[in-house]
Amino acid sequence: MPKEITTFEDFIKHVIKLVFWVLLLIPFIVLPIYYFAYTVLGVNLLDIFALATTKPEEFIKFQLQLISTEPTRSLFLWTTFPGFTFAAVFSAILMAYVERKFVAKIQLRVGPQYAGRFEGVLQNFADLFKLLFKEITVPHSADKLIFWAVPFALMAVAGALLGLIPLSPSTYIANPSVGAIFVFAILGFSPIIVLLAGWASNSKYPLLGGLRALHQLVSYEIPMILSILGVVVLSGTLNLIGIVNAQGGVWYIILQPIGAAVFFIAALAELERIPFDLPEADSELVAGWQTEYSGMLFGTFILANYIRFYALSALFTIFFLGGWLGPPVIPPEAWFILKTVVVMIVGMLPRAIMGRIRIDVLLRTGWVKLMFLTFLNIFIAMVLVSLGLVHGGAG
Amino acid sequence: MADVVFFALMVVAVGGAIIALEAREIVYGAVGLAGSFFGVAALFFLLDAPFVAVFQIIVYIGAVAILILFTVMLVRQERWLKDASFSVGQLAGILTAGATAVALILAFSAAKLWEVTPSSNPPDFLGIGQLISTEFAPALQVLALVLAASVLGAITLAKVDREEKVKA
Repeated sequence: MPKEITTFEDFIKHVIKLVFWVLLLIPFIVLPIYYFAYTVLGVNLLDIFALATTKPEEFIKFQLQLISTEPTRSLFLWTTFPGFTFAAVFSAILMAYVERKFVAKIQLRVGPQYAGRFEGVLQNFADLFKLLFKEITVPHSADKLIFWAVPFALMAVAGALLGLIPLSPSTYIANPSVGAIFVFAILGFSPIIVLLAGWASNSKYPLLGGLRALHQLVSYEIPMILSILGVVVLSGTLNLIGIVNAQGGVWYIILQPIGAAVFFIAALAELERIPFDLPEADSELVAGWQTEYSGMLFGTFILANYIRFYALSALFTIFFLGGWLGPPVIPPEAWFILKTVVVMIVGMLPRAIMGRIRIDVLLRTGWVKLMFLTFLNIFIAMVLVSLGLVHGGAG
Repeated sequence: MADVVFFALMVVAVGGAIIALEAREIVYGAVGLAGSFFGVAALFFLLDAPFVAVFQIIVYIGAVAILILFTVMLVRQERWLKDASFSVGQLAGILTAGATAVALILAFSAAKLWEVTPSSNPPDFLGIGQLISTEFAPALQVLALVLAASVLGAITLAKVDREEKVKA
């Protein structure tokens, strides 16, 4: 906490301290950025400033050129369009608003109404700023290091998922040959992070919520992986772009309806959405493993959850709805986003009309019913391939 | 660039292992172990073996590390090791480890492992799958039997435990 300034001497000391920090920061932060831009990217930041203030058209042209050439193109992809900013704004601001209105209308409520004058369109921005300005309280006997590390780790997991999702054959960040399995490897980080969040809070409700989340995430990961095995058998590849290209004739939701249903249910459970919101069950566990987090740390959890919601809906689109394939009246990216929006809205529907299920029902559904359905699904895929009805990639 | 990434990942893997062994708080040890697994997985990825890397993450971080962490949390001891006293045994251990490391470095440099050139086409997972389903199919089936036997054994043990509890 800064000391209160009472005397003139303190004031002078304060000013000198500020000047000291500015003098320290300029050579260590500002100049490296300037010289990095100048030498590596070949860009003079002062020229850009002059360009932006005098000739806006040329400035826009220059920015487009930066976006389309390496190495700034990778940076743009990661941070802006298929990457983080797009996903965060699209899912946590736009789709969260759609969700609030949609659920409210189904339940005969009005939902957000006042912020932004028209139907509360700015409500989520208002909530964002509210969370940003709230105080972050850390429990006295919490494990400080892990407590602070958990929100960042969850954001890292959500961001890493975004890196694997191709929006079109040309708009992607990373395209590994084992993308379909890679997604589940990254999702596999979340149970350990959630468990650590419950433990580090050093409180009863977070620990109970963390253990519930662990059970739920671990038991629904397996049906989720198995449900896409049918798709992999039919398409003969683990590459996400290859899987979409293999659906040129018929979408896999028609050939693999059971797999699609299992993937959808397991995705809802992975996201801890109603009816699978046992880990945060607000009537029993306050907010589960998120109980002790406040302010923007809690906001980070919401943001990460919405980004994962978007990522899993996008994966459903890739695996079962033919990704960006569609009549070329709108660009492929637009087809992809349109289908993802439809999947997300269907994913919001249970929140409006269902209650919360019990933990034993949850575990029995995951380990017995969904597992049986996935094996049936793989069997159907194998029959389709071996009868020659579908050209399997491997056969 | 690759060298820098390689050494950074080495630091993650070895540092995680050291934390796993030396941490006072045993949960930190489990997290360090997960970090070490992650470093090894990233090394596999750097070495053009994404399939191995992905399964390293799924199996070791997604299952083994969680199992260890869960077990550690069930056994709620506040601090397992109170004081860190430097004993003769520790010194001997460090000396032995150092001597082994030096011997290994000498052996590897004598074997000229530095001069191995990587093959142009790294083995794909399709090739791995074909080998497993043709040449190594018997080994795969034996492994499956071993896993099935261990799962059955675990279920039997859990079942016996529960019945005894019901009787008592």
